[in-house]
Amino acid sequence: MYRPYPNALTLSRKVLRALIVLTPIAGVLILALFVASLVAEGPVMGALGVRPGPDRAALILGMRVIMVVGICSAALAQIALRRLLAIVETVSVGDPFVSENAERLQTIAWVVLGLELLHFLVGQVAARVSSQAHPLDIHWSFSVTRWLAVLLLFVLARVFDQGARMREDLHGTI
Amino acid sequence: MPIIVKLDDILDARRMTLTELSERVDITLANLSILKTGKARAIRFSTLDAICEALRCQPGDLLEFDHSKSRQSRKAS
Repeated sequence: MYRPYPNALTLSRKVLRALIVLTPIAGVLILALFVASLVAEGPVMGALGVRPGPDRAALILGMRVIMVVGICSAALAQIALRRLLAIVETVSVGDPFVSENAERLQTIAWVVLGLELLHFLVGQVAARVSSQAHPLDIHWSFSVTRWLAVLLLFVLARVFDQGARMREDLHGTI
Repeated sequence: MPIIVKLDDILDARRMTLTELSERVDITLANLSILKTGKARAIRFSTLDAICEALRCQPGDLLEFDHSKSRQSRKAS
């Protein structure tokens, strides 16, 4: 018989709580970098390794787009993390098969899809602005696994929805 | 729900209380109360079996379909 690790839930809760604190900090830091790049473009871009050249303007624009994407991603990640923590809390209470969790999973699925699309956008921007003189290496790669995870989340949301309905029916069965 | 549970009428006719029925059929008073007030979503055959045996009645004596409350009549009105 399958026996889950007893501490997995506690560990997940701790990790999620830490990430819920860390993602807004990351978002604020990226926002600060973005504002700084507008206020003091020369020194900031110099510190980021952007050298003078013909493609400089395009590279700076691309980097700013990536920063905006980073801020949006932090906000999206916050939504997903909070929903996931709420799901974990229902598991610890002992009642995870509720329609609210199906909705939360559905939201997480949409958020992860959004994050994947933003990731794709970052890859496109980096490819567009990167040149031999100004290479923008952000280690971008396409991953089938991540897209499968999106699909899996949507399927799981439906499974949860169906499970919650069945449980509700069973609850009213005499 | 157009299904009406007539448990109250049969209990009256048999001069039996819900508590007595609960003891005879081994179903909690809370669950029987849910059934009596028409709040149940479904009823198991085993429950129906036990109640019919205890009250010496037929399933049809316990349940009634109200056509005026059915989905089709609601659509028509």
